[in-house]
Amino acid sequence: MMTLKIQIIIGIILVSGLCYVVNLIRKNKVELKYALPWLGAGVAVLAIDCFPVLMNELADLVGIGSPVNMIFFVGFLFVLVIVFAMTVALSIASSSVKRLTQKIALIEKRVRDLEEVIAKNNEKNGYK
Amino acid sequence: MVCVIMKKLAIIPAYNEAESIIYTVKDIQKNAPDFDYIIINDRSKDNTYNLCIEAGLNILNLPLNLGIGGAVQTGYWYALENGYDIAVQFDGDGQHDAKYLGIMADTLIQKKANMVIGSRFIEKEGYQSSGIRRIGIRFFTVLIYLLTGEKITDPTSGFRMCDRKIIEMFADGYPKDYPEPETTTKALRNKFKVDEIPVKMRAREGGKSSISLKKSIYYMIKVPLAIIIERMR
Repeated sequence: MMTLKIQIIIGIILVSGLCYVVNLIRKNKVELKYALPWLGAGVAVLAIDCFPVLMNELADLVGIGSPVNMIFFVGFLFVLVIVFAMTVALSIASSSVKRLTQKIALIEKRVRDLEEVIAKNNEKNGYK
Repeated sequence: MVCVIMKKLAIIPAYNEAESIIYTVKDIQKNAPDFDYIIINDRSKDNTYNLCIEAGLNILNLPLNLGIGGAVQTGYWYALENGYDIAVQFDGDGQHDAKYLGIMADTLIQKKANMVIGSRFIEKEGYQSSGIRRIGIRFFTVLIYLLTGEKITDPTSGFRMCDRKIIEMFADGYPKDYPEPETTTKALRNKFKVDEIPVKMRAREGGKSSISLKKSIYYMIKVPLAIIIERMR
Protein backbone atom coordinates (compact mmCIF):
# COMPACT_ATOMS: atom_id res chain seq x y z
CA MET A 1 0.00 0.00 0.00
CA MET A 2 1.00 3.64 -0.49
CA THR A 3 1.83 5.56 2.59
CA LEU A 4 0.34 8.99 3.13
CA LYS A 5 3.89 10.35 3.08
CA ILE A 6 4.64 9.27 -0.51
CA GLN A 7 1.17 10.38 -1.59
CA ILE A 8 1.88 13.87 -0.29
CA ILE A 9 5.38 14.04 -1.79
CA ILE A 10 4.16 12.92 -5.23
CA GLY A 11 1.17 15.27 -4.94
CA ILE A 12 3.36 18.31 -4.18
CA ILE A 13 5.73 17.54 -7.08
CA LEU A 14 2.82 17.08 -9.50
CA VAL A 15 0.93 20.20 -8.43
CA SER A 16 4.01 22.42 -8.60
CA GLY A 17 4.88 20.89 -11.99
CA LEU A 18 1.36 21.57 -13.27
CA CYS A 19 1.50 25.16 -11.96
CA TYR A 20 4.82 25.67 -13.71
CA VAL A 21 3.45 24.42 -17.04
CA VAL A 22 0.26 26.49 -16.75
CA ASN A 23 2.34 29.56 -15.93
CA LEU A 24 4.47 29.07 -19.03
CA ILE A 25 1.35 28.74 -21.18
CA ARG A 26 -0.05 31.90 -19.54
CA LYS A 27 3.12 33.79 -20.52
CA ASN A 28 2.93 32.40 -24.08
CA LYS A 29 6.26 30.65 -23.66
CA VAL A 30 4.79 27.22 -24.34
CA GLU A 31 2.07 26.48 -26.86
CA LEU A 32 -1.02 24.95 -25.28
CA LYS A 33 -1.10 22.48 -28.16
CA TYR A 34 2.23 20.94 -27.13
CA ALA A 35 1.67 21.32 -23.38
CA LEU A 36 -1.67 19.51 -23.45
CA PRO A 37 -0.21 15.96 -23.21
CA TRP A 38 1.88 17.10 -20.22
CA LEU A 39 -1.19 18.55 -18.50
CA GLY A 40 -3.10 15.35 -19.23
CA ALA A 41 -0.32 13.18 -17.87
CA GLY A 42 0.00 15.35 -14.75
CA VAL A 43 -3.72 15.30 -13.99
CA ALA A 44 -3.99 11.55 -14.59
CA VAL A 45 -1.08 10.72 -12.32
CA LEU A 46 -2.39 13.18 -9.72
CA ALA A 47 -5.76 11.40 -9.78
CA ILE A 48 -4.09 8.05 -9.15
CA ASP A 49 -2.04 9.62 -6.38
CA CYS A 50 -5.08 11.06 -4.60
CA PHE A 51 -7.23 7.99 -5.06
CA PRO A 52 -4.98 4.91 -5.23
CA VAL A 53 -8.09 2.70 -5.08
CA LEU A 54 -8.67 3.70 -8.71
CA MET A 55 -5.63 1.71 -9.65
CA ASN A 56 -5.96 -1.21 -7.27
CA GLU A 57 -7.85 -3.36 -9.70
CA LEU A 58 -5.74 -2.43 -12.70
CA ALA A 59 -2.54 -3.03 -10.71
CA ASP A 60 -3.88 -6.43 -9.74
CA LEU A 61 -4.87 -7.15 -13.31
CA VAL A 62 -1.41 -6.53 -14.77
CA GLY A 63 0.27 -8.15 -11.78
CA ILE A 64 1.73 -5.10 -10.07
CA GLY A 65 1.64 -5.58 -6.32
CA SER A 66 1.56 -1.99 -5.20
CA PRO A 67 -0.39 1.03 -6.54
CA VAL A 68 2.67 3.28 -6.11
CA ASN A 69 4.46 1.21 -8.76
CA MET A 70 1.39 1.59 -10.94
CA ILE A 71 1.83 5.38 -10.67
CA PHE A 72 5.42 5.11 -11.86
CA PHE A 73 4.45 2.74 -14.64
CA VAL A 74 1.58 4.91 -15.94
CA GLY A 75 3.69 8.06 -15.59
CA PHE A 76 6.56 6.45 -17.49
CA LEU A 77 4.26 5.39 -20.34
CA PHE A 78 2.90 8.94 -20.62
CA VAL A 79 6.42 10.33 -20.75
CA LEU A 80 7.45 7.89 -23.48
CA VAL A 81 4.46 8.88 -25.61
CA ILE A 82 5.11 12.58 -25.05
CA VAL A 83 8.83 12.34 -25.84
CA PHE A 84 8.12 10.43 -29.03
CA ALA A 85 5.48 12.98 -30.03
CA MET A 86 8.20 15.62 -29.54
CA THR A 87 10.52 13.68 -31.86
CA VAL A 88 7.81 13.70 -34.51
CA ALA A 89 7.16 17.42 -33.98
CA LEU A 90 10.90 18.12 -34.19
CA SER A 91 11.19 16.21 -37.47
CA ILE A 92 8.34 18.20 -38.98
CA ALA A 93 9.77 21.49 -37.69
CA SER A 94 13.24 20.65 -38.98
CA SER A 95 12.03 19.87 -42.48
CA SER A 96 9.98 23.09 -42.48
CA VAL A 97 13.07 25.05 -41.46
CA LYS A 98 15.01 23.37 -44.26
CA ARG A 99 12.38 24.30 -46.83
CA LEU A 100 12.25 27.90 -45.60
CA THR A 101 16.03 28.20 -45.64
CA GLN A 102 16.16 26.92 -49.20
CA LYS A 103 13.37 29.22 -50.33
CA ILE A 104 15.09 32.23 -48.74
CA ALA A 105 18.29 31.41 -50.63
CA LEU A 106 16.38 31.11 -53.92
CA ILE A 107 14.49 34.37 -53.34
CA GLU A 108 17.64 36.20 -52.24
CA LYS A 109 19.30 35.28 -55.52
CA ARG A 110 16.31 36.59 -57.47
CA VAL A 111 16.46 39.85 -55.53
CA ARG A 112 20.17 40.21 -56.31
CA ASP A 113 19.54 39.47 -60.00
CA LEU A 114 16.66 41.96 -60.11
CA GLU A 115 18.73 44.65 -58.43
CA GLU A 116 21.36 44.15 -61.08
CA VAL A 117 18.83 44.45 -63.90
CA ILE A 118 17.32 47.58 -62.36
CA ALA A 119 20.75 49.14 -61.88
CA LYS A 120 21.59 48.44 -65.52
CA ASN A 121 18.28 49.86 -66.75
CA ASN A 122 18.75 52.97 -64.65
CA GLU A 123 22.21 53.45 -66.07
CA LYS A 124 20.90 53.03 -69.61
CA ASN A 125 18.13 55.54 -69.04
CA GLY A 126 20.50 58.00 -67.41
CA TYR A 127 19.08 57.80 -63.88
CA LYS A 128 21.41 57.84 -60.98
CA MET B 1 18.94 13.21 -84.87
CA VAL B 2 16.89 16.16 -83.83
CA CYS B 3 19.09 18.54 -81.98
CA VAL B 4 17.21 20.08 -79.09
CA ILE B 5 19.12 22.61 -77.08
CA MET B 6 19.07 21.36 -73.54
CA LYS B 7 19.57 23.58 -70.55
CA LYS B 8 22.25 22.05 -68.38
CA LEU B 9 23.22 23.02 -64.86
CA ALA B 10 26.11 22.13 -62.61
CA ILE B 11 25.10 22.18 -58.95
CA ILE B 12 28.11 23.03 -56.79
CA PRO B 13 27.53 22.63 -53.05
CA ALA B 14 30.16 24.57 -51.13
CA TYR B 15 31.01 24.47 -47.45
CA ASN B 16 34.27 26.25 -46.63
CA GLU B 17 35.62 25.91 -50.16
CA ALA B 18 37.22 29.36 -50.53
CA GLU B 19 40.49 27.78 -51.67
CA SER B 20 39.02 25.83 -54.54
CA ILE B 21 35.67 27.32 -55.55
CA ILE B 22 37.00 29.75 -58.17
CA TYR B 23 39.09 26.98 -59.70
CA THR B 24 36.04 24.70 -59.81
CA VAL B 25 33.93 27.28 -61.65
CA LYS B 26 36.78 28.01 -64.10
CA ASP B 27 37.10 24.28 -64.74
CA ILE B 28 33.42 24.10 -65.74
CA GLN B 29 33.52 27.27 -67.84
CA LYS B 30 36.58 26.03 -69.71
CA ASN B 31 35.88 22.30 -70.08
CA ALA B 32 32.07 22.23 -70.16
CA PRO B 33 31.04 25.61 -71.60
CA ASP B 34 27.46 24.48 -72.39
CA PHE B 35 26.80 24.03 -68.67
CA ASP B 36 25.51 26.81 -66.46
CA TYR B 37 26.50 26.51 -62.84
CA ILE B 38 25.08 27.44 -59.47
CA ILE B 39 27.09 27.50 -56.25
CA ILE B 40 25.18 26.75 -53.07
CA ASN B 41 26.97 28.27 -50.13
CA ASP B 42 25.98 26.15 -47.13
CA ARG B 43 26.70 28.91 -44.62
CA SER B 44 30.45 28.53 -44.90
CA LYS B 45 32.50 29.84 -42.02
CA ASP B 46 35.27 31.06 -44.32
CA ASN B 47 34.91 33.77 -46.97
CA THR B 48 33.50 31.51 -49.71
CA TYR B 49 30.46 33.78 -50.04
CA ASN B 50 32.30 37.11 -50.31
CA LEU B 51 34.79 35.61 -52.70
CA CYS B 52 32.02 34.40 -55.01
CA ILE B 53 30.09 37.69 -54.87
CA GLU B 54 33.22 39.72 -55.60
CA ALA B 55 34.00 37.47 -58.55
CA GLY B 56 30.39 37.88 -59.76
CA LEU B 57 29.65 34.14 -59.62
CA ASN B 58 26.16 32.64 -59.54
CA ILE B 59 25.54 31.77 -55.94
CA LEU B 60 22.68 30.76 -53.68
CA ASN B 61 23.37 31.69 -50.09
CA LEU B 62 21.77 29.48 -47.45
CA PRO B 63 21.21 31.48 -44.25
CA LEU B 64 21.51 28.29 -42.16
CA ASN B 65 23.85 25.34 -42.50
CA LEU B 66 21.70 22.55 -43.92
CA GLY B 67 24.35 19.94 -44.59
CA ILE B 68 25.24 18.48 -47.98
CA GLY B 69 21.78 17.03 -48.68
CA GLY B 70 19.92 20.27 -47.99
CA ALA B 71 22.43 22.23 -50.07
CA VAL B 72 22.25 19.91 -53.07
CA GLN B 73 18.46 19.84 -52.88
CA THR B 74 18.44 23.65 -53.08
CA GLY B 75 20.36 23.23 -56.34
CA TYR B 76 17.76 20.80 -57.69
CA TRP B 77 15.00 23.20 -56.69
CA TYR B 78 16.83 25.99 -58.52
CA ALA B 79 17.17 23.72 -61.57
CA LEU B 80 13.43 23.01 -61.43
CA GLU B 81 12.44 26.69 -61.08
CA ASN B 82 14.70 27.71 -63.94
CA GLY B 83 13.65 25.01 -66.36
CA TYR B 84 16.84 22.99 -66.62
CA ASP B 85 16.65 19.67 -68.47
CA ILE B 86 19.81 18.23 -66.94
CA ALA B 87 21.53 18.85 -63.64
CA VAL B 88 24.81 17.47 -62.38
CA GLN B 89 26.20 17.50 -58.87
CA PHE B 90 29.73 18.78 -58.93
CA ASP B 91 31.83 19.06 -55.79
CA GLY B 92 33.26 22.47 -54.97
CA ASP B 93 36.52 21.04 -53.67
CA GLY B 94 38.14 20.12 -56.98
CA GLN B 95 37.57 16.35 -56.69
CA HIS B 96 35.51 16.22 -59.86
CA ASP B 97 36.77 16.97 -63.34
CA ALA B 98 34.58 19.04 -65.66
CA LYS B 99 35.90 17.31 -68.76
CA TYR B 100 33.58 14.38 -67.93
CA LEU B 101 30.42 16.50 -68.01
CA GLY B 102 30.11 16.25 -71.80
CA ILE B 103 30.50 12.45 -71.74
CA MET B 104 28.01 12.15 -68.91
CA ALA B 105 25.44 14.23 -70.78
CA ASP B 106 25.98 12.16 -73.96
CA THR B 107 25.52 8.95 -71.98
CA LEU B 108 22.38 10.30 -70.34
CA ILE B 109 20.84 11.28 -73.68
CA GLN B 110 22.01 8.43 -75.89
CA LYS B 111 21.39 5.61 -73.44
CA LYS B 112 18.13 7.27 -72.36
CA ALA B 113 19.22 7.03 -68.74
CA ASN B 114 17.58 9.11 -66.04
CA MET B 115 20.73 9.27 -63.96
CA VAL B 116 24.39 8.84 -64.78
CA ILE B 117 26.91 8.30 -61.99
CA GLY B 118 30.61 9.04 -62.40
CA SER B 119 32.22 5.93 -60.95
CA ARG B 120 35.78 5.59 -59.67
CA PHE B 121 35.60 1.83 -59.69
CA ILE B 122 34.89 0.85 -63.29
CA GLU B 123 38.39 1.44 -64.57
CA LYS B 124 39.84 1.79 -61.09
CA GLU B 125 41.89 4.84 -62.00
CA GLY B 126 42.59 8.08 -60.21
CA TYR B 127 41.89 8.67 -56.53
CA GLN B 128 40.40 5.47 -55.15
CA SER B 129 39.63 6.48 -51.57
CA SER B 130 41.14 4.61 -48.60
CA GLY B 131 40.98 0.81 -48.24
CA ILE B 132 38.46 0.79 -45.43
CA ARG B 133 36.16 3.16 -47.33
CA ARG B 134 36.36 1.00 -50.44
CA ILE B 135 35.12 -1.92 -48.35
CA GLY B 136 32.23 0.27 -47.15
CA ILE B 137 31.42 1.29 -50.72
CA ARG B 138 31.53 -2.34 -51.87
CA PHE B 139 29.11 -3.17 -49.05
CA PHE B 140 26.63 -0.61 -50.42
CA THR B 141 27.05 -2.00 -53.94
CA VAL B 142 26.09 -5.45 -52.64
CA LEU B 143 23.24 -4.11 -50.48
CA ILE B 144 21.73 -2.11 -53.35
CA TYR B 145 22.12 -5.13 -55.65
CA LEU B 146 20.27 -7.34 -53.16
CA LEU B 147 17.46 -4.82 -52.75
CA THR B 148 17.02 -3.61 -56.34
CA GLY B 149 18.80 -6.14 -58.53
CA GLU B 150 20.94 -3.41 -60.12
CA LYS B 151 24.70 -3.18 -59.87
CA ILE B 152 26.03 0.26 -59.02
CA THR B 153 29.82 0.20 -58.68
CA ASP B 154 30.09 3.60 -56.95
CA PRO B 155 26.89 4.30 -55.01
CA THR B 156 28.62 6.88 -52.79
CA SER B 157 29.83 8.99 -55.69
CA GLY B 158 28.71 12.61 -55.41
CA PHE B 159 29.36 13.06 -59.14
CA ARG B 160 25.92 12.41 -60.59
CA MET B 161 23.91 13.75 -63.49
CA CYS B 162 20.12 13.69 -63.54
CA ASP B 163 17.39 14.32 -66.07
CA ARG B 164 14.29 16.42 -65.53
CA LYS B 165 12.29 13.63 -63.88
CA ILE B 166 14.94 12.97 -61.25
CA ILE B 167 15.42 16.71 -60.74
CA GLU B 168 11.73 16.91 -59.88
CA MET B 169 11.96 13.93 -57.54
CA PHE B 170 15.04 15.24 -55.71
CA ALA B 171 13.68 18.80 -55.44
CA ASP B 172 10.68 17.28 -53.69
CA GLY B 173 12.52 15.02 -51.27
CA TYR B 174 16.18 14.53 -50.45
CA PRO B 175 17.91 13.18 -47.33
CA LYS B 176 19.76 15.68 -45.13
CA ASP B 177 23.03 13.86 -44.64
CA TYR B 178 25.00 11.23 -46.55
CA PRO B 179 22.37 11.16 -49.30
CA GLU B 180 24.09 9.39 -52.21
CA PRO B 181 23.46 5.65 -51.66
CA GLU B 182 19.93 6.33 -50.41
CA THR B 183 18.95 8.50 -53.35
CA THR B 184 20.49 6.07 -55.83
CA THR B 185 18.24 3.40 -54.31
CA LYS B 186 15.30 5.80 -54.53
CA ALA B 187 15.92 6.33 -58.24
CA LEU B 188 16.19 2.58 -58.88
CA ARG B 189 13.12 1.80 -56.81
CA ASN B 190 11.11 4.28 -58.90
CA LYS B 191 12.19 2.30 -62.00
CA PHE B 192 14.47 5.02 -63.28
CA LYS B 193 17.39 3.96 -65.40
CA VAL B 194 20.71 4.55 -63.67
CA ASP B 195 23.91 4.23 -65.67
CA GLU B 196 27.55 4.67 -64.78
CA ILE B 197 30.56 5.97 -66.64
CA PRO B 198 34.19 5.57 -65.55
CA VAL B 199 35.76 8.73 -64.17
CA LYS B 200 39.01 9.61 -62.49
CA MET B 201 38.63 11.65 -59.36
CA ARG B 202 41.32 13.79 -57.85
CA ALA B 203 42.32 13.87 -54.23
CA ARG B 204 40.72 16.92 -52.64
CA GLU B 205 42.12 20.35 -53.50
CA GLY B 206 41.00 22.10 -50.34
CA GLY B 207 38.46 21.74 -47.58
CA LYS B 208 37.81 18.53 -45.67
CA SER B 209 35.87 15.41 -46.55
CA SER B 210 32.38 15.57 -45.13
CA ILE B 211 32.95 12.09 -43.68
CA SER B 212 35.43 12.16 -40.82
CA LEU B 213 36.49 8.98 -39.07
CA LYS B 214 34.33 9.92 -36.10
CA LYS B 215 31.22 10.06 -38.24
CA SER B 216 31.79 6.79 -40.08
CA ILE B 217 30.07 4.76 -37.40
CA TYR B 218 26.96 6.93 -37.72
CA TYR B 219 27.30 6.61 -41.48
CA MET B 220 27.49 2.82 -41.44
CA ILE B 221 24.42 2.57 -39.23
CA LYS B 222 22.26 5.29 -40.76
CA VAL B 223 22.84 4.75 -44.46
CA PRO B 224 22.15 0.99 -44.65
CA LEU B 225 18.99 1.54 -42.58
CA ALA B 226 17.97 4.41 -44.84
CA ILE B 227 18.46 2.21 -47.92
CA ILE B 228 16.40 -0.61 -46.43
CA ILE B 229 13.62 1.77 -45.39
CA GLU B 230 13.71 3.40 -48.82
CA ARG B 231 13.16 -0.07 -50.32
CA MET B 232 10.13 -0.52 -48.00
CA ARG B 233 8.41 2.69 -49.16
